[in-house]
Amino acid sequence: MTTHGNKGQMRIIEAILASFIIMFALSFANIFAITPTSPKYEVTELQKLGYNVLHDLDEQALLARFIYNAEWDNITAALRVLLPLDVYFNMTVYELHDSSTRAINNATIFYGDIETFVTSKNVASVTYGLAGYATKINGTYQALYEPRIVALQLVRG
Amino acid sequence: MKRFMKNKNGQFVIIAVLMIAIMIISIGALMHRAVTYYKHEPWEEYLTLIGSIELNSRSLVELSLANYTNTDSPDLNILRTHLEKWQINLTRIYPGYGITLNYTLIDSGLVCDWNKNASFSAANTTFDLNINSIGLKEFKFNAVAHLNLTILNVNNSTNEITATVKEENEVPIFNLKKDNFLVEGSNITSVTSSYDEQYMLVYIIIFEGTITTPVTVTVWDQRGIKVTARYSID
Repeated sequence: MTTHGNKGQMRIIEAILASFIIMFALSFANIFAITPTSPKYEVTELQKLGYNVLHDLDEQALLARFIYNAEWDNITAALRVLLPLDVYFNMTVYELHDSSTRAINNATIFYGDIETFVTSKNVASVTYGLAGYATKINGTYQALYEPRIVALQLVRG
Repeated sequence: MKRFMKNKNGQFVIIAVLMIAIMIISIGALMHRAVTYYKHEPWEEYLTLIGSIELNSRSLVELSLANYTNTDSPDLNILRTHLEKWQINLTRIYPGYGITLNYTLIDSGLVCDWNKNASFSAANTTFDLNINSIGLKEFKFNAVAHLNLTILNVNNSTNEITATVKEENEVPIFNLKKDNFLVEGSNITSVTSSYDEQYMLVYIIIFEGTITTPVTVTVWDQRGIKVTARYSID
C-alpha cells in the first residue's frame, strides 16, 4: 500500500461525495421550484377538464338525457355550472351513420366570445361517444342503438 | 514537466474520477426524468377515456336488454349486433387511439325468465379493451344488466299486490312510480313503497276491482328493461 494509492482512493471518494451533494442540492431545489404554467400544457389541462366534465355528466345519466332529448339549453346550463367562468366552450353533437356523421344540434351550445376561439392558440378539442338511450314514447319504452359523438371545444378567455 | 510524466497514475485517477462523476450525474438526471415524467402524462384523460368506454359499453348492454324485452318479436341476436356496431363505431368516435374492444357472450348474452312468481330479465357481456396509443392491453370488465320482479302476495280483499323489484347484485330499486307498473286485467290506483325487514323494500300496488288469479304484473325500470311476473294461489 503506497501513499499515492491512498490519495487516488480519497479523490474518488471526494468526487463521489461531491456528485451526491450536487444531486441532492438539485433535487432539493426542484421540490421548492414553482415553475410557471407552460402554454404547452394549457391544452392538456383544458382537455382534462373537458373529459372530466363530460364523464361526470354521463355518470349521472344526464349527458345521454340531454343529448337524446335535445335539451340543448339544459346542457349549456350544466356546462356553465361545471366549467370555470374563464373557460369558454362550443359544443357540437353529431349523429353517427354507417359512412357519415351529421351535426344535429339546431341550437348553439356555446358560451363565451367567438373571437377567442379564432384568435387563441390554445384551443382544446374533446370528443366523447354515447351508445344510445332508452326513452318512453306514448307509454312504451324505445331503446335504440344510436351512437352520437359529442365534440367539445374549450378555450380560456 | 518530468514530475508530471512520472506521476502518470495520478492523472488516470483524475480522469477516472471525472468519468465516475459524469456517470453519477447522468444517472441522477435520468432518474429525475423518470420520477417526474408522470407529471406531464395526461393520466386523467386516459382514465376518463377508459371510463367513458366502459360506461357506454354497459349502457349498450342495458339498452339491448331493454330493446329485447320491449319488442313483440324479440331478436335474440340484438346484443351481438349492437356490440359489433359499437366495436366499429368506437374507432370512429376516438380516432388515433388504436382502440380495440373485444367481447365474450355466453349464447346470446340475454336471458328472460318470465311468468313466474320470481321472474327476471338479464344480460351479461365480458369486455376486453386494448388502447394501443397508451399501451393498455386486455383491460377486462364485465357489464351486467339485471331486473328481478317477485310478487310476494295478492290480497283481493284489500286490492293489494305486494312485490319487490331488484336490479344487479340484489339491490332494490327505489324510484318506481305508478307508470312503471302494469297489472293485467285491472287499472292501478296507486303504487307506494315501504321498508321491509326481509326484502328491504317492497312495493304495494293498489288496483281497481277484483282480479282472478293468476295475476300478471309487468314492471319497467328507469332503463326501460321489462319483466313480467305471474302469481297464482295454489
